[in-house]
Amino acid sequence: MTILDVRGISRRFGGLQALSDVTFSVPKGQIVGLIGPNGAGKTTFFSTLCGLIKPDSGAIMLDGTSIVGQKPHKVAGLGMTKTFQNVALFAESSVLDNVLTAGLLRHDVEKARERALACLDRVGLRSVAHKMAGNLSFPERARVELARALCTDPKVLLLDEVMAALNPVEMQEIMDLIRQLRDDGITLLVVEHHMRAIMAICDRILVLNFGRLLADGSPREVANDPVVIEAYLGRSAEGHV
Amino acid sequence: MKRWIAIVVIVLVAMAVPQVLNPSGYWMRVFTLTLLFAAMAQAWNLIGGLANQLSLGHAAFFGIGAYTSTILLLKFGISPWIGMFAAGALGGLAALVIAVPTMRLQGHYFALATLAFGEVARVIANVWTSLTGGPGGLSVPFVPPSFAAYSFKQLLPHAYIALVALIIVTVIFEVIRRGAMGYRLRAIRENAAAAEVIGIDTTKVKLQTAVISGVLTAMLGTLFAQVAVFFDPDTAFSAASISIRVALIAIIGGVGTAVGPILGAFFIVPIEELMNDLFSSGAAGLSQLIFGVILIVVILWRPRGLVTIFEALRARLQGRGAQS
Repeated sequence: MTILDVRGISRRFGGLQALSDVTFSVPKGQIVGLIGPNGAGKTTFFSTLCGLIKPDSGAIMLDGTSIVGQKPHKVAGLGMTKTFQNVALFAESSVLDNVLTAGLLRHDVEKARERALACLDRVGLRSVAHKMAGNLSFPERARVELARALCTDPKVLLLDEVMAALNPVEMQEIMDLIRQLRDDGITLLVVEHHMRAIMAICDRILVLNFGRLLADGSPREVANDPVVIEAYLGRSAEGHV
Repeated sequence: MKRWIAIVVIVLVAMAVPQVLNPSGYWMRVFTLTLLFAAMAQAWNLIGGLANQLSLGHAAFFGIGAYTSTILLLKFGISPWIGMFAAGALGGLAALVIAVPTMRLQGHYFALATLAFGEVARVIANVWTSLTGGPGGLSVPFVPPSFAAYSFKQLLPHAYIALVALIIVTVIFEVIRRGAMGYRLRAIRENAAAAEVIGIDTTKVKLQTAVISGVLTAMLGTLFAQVAVFFDPDTAFSAASISIRVALIAIIGGVGTAVGPILGAFFIVPIEELMNDLFSSGAAGLSQLIFGVILIVVILWRPRGLVTIFEALRARLQGRGAQS
């Protein structure tokens, strides 16, 4: 069953074609990696999916509903949300309040608090629930972002570099969590620079380059695709990614 | 528990104060106005404190409230108690009209745009002579005193009505601050894009807040009209003595807290009156100058408002408790 269907999404910023005719569809319960060199359009693409940026053309269907041109809160209500690459927490609120606020999408305050504590448990941050979010370390803040996104009860979750700056142990925890979320029925799109992590957890990988979808296949296929190797390493490279 | 005892004590003291003042005297008027301005600053606090949008146009709602009930009373003999609700409805409508175009503005731009809207309202009230009486102003007509007619021989009942109004507006503020809307407003204030992405309809929440604030401010305008008895467009729609003063009261007291506007009003309104009382016989403008200096000193001493005095005191007491 297709949960997310993207058809011909394009977006131009002045002279820059940030996204160019991006087309793919994702069946429910897949973990899809989105990779590409810096400036390839990954974050722009996530912002377009969740409604922060309007595409110039193209169609996006989330679980059978068209969401192009919908505001982000509508998209979140329909079941898709994202985390922010540079972390966009409510810095002067407590960790719990950050996550609780997301729970208000579907619950009253009391129920949202329970949900929020459960989400903080999942990312292992229950012990800092009452700290101010702005006082946490960067890796912790990224996990609060994840918990907050989770607390909206998404069908599709877009994770923009949640593993940045994590140590290997923490990274393993997040990878395990992502797999658990998939087993819970959540579909995940993951932008990440750690190739080893991406290769390990993704069922499938999309490669973006200059806003264009360059490759789409299993981790093994993509890693051996000469076009992808060229985009990453330049023409002369012959070897392993 | 301690908090509730404090609240009950403060309310009891506030109820006792009018009993010791001259029922129609000068200080009764100051006390009543202080309560009204505290309530207005509290209504402003919804936008200025929770949404963190510095409105300098609240005189628009206030003036609409004062004029609506008074015109209904003059032309149709409708009791201001009922006129107050018509005032609230119009004030809410005006807030909606102003909020739709200004909502996307941030910081200084929002402040300037709302200031302009307030001035537009004042100009309209001045030129729409057939409705408002123009620059000549309006007098609230004399009606035989009764509670139903909102007409009293003394100022004393006005003080109690203002006290009740302050309590109601403060309760509304606290309920909003602690409830789902408070969480949403804080989220919008701290990161609007993130708030949208996690499902908050930022447009709707901002409009709701503006309308609630506009409704409450207009209803307080009606109460003011009953106390003032006479007003003209330049007083009821005044940028300096309504819009800016209301913002100033909340800021001096401490924005975003329920206590702040009350502290601010009980500091600013009586001191301003006292300065006028003490120095107005001296050089022209001396009282305003001294008042201004006091404000500057306070804002330098407590940039986040007088409310931080209590926070500091509490921290010191707890620190001492921990040491012993």
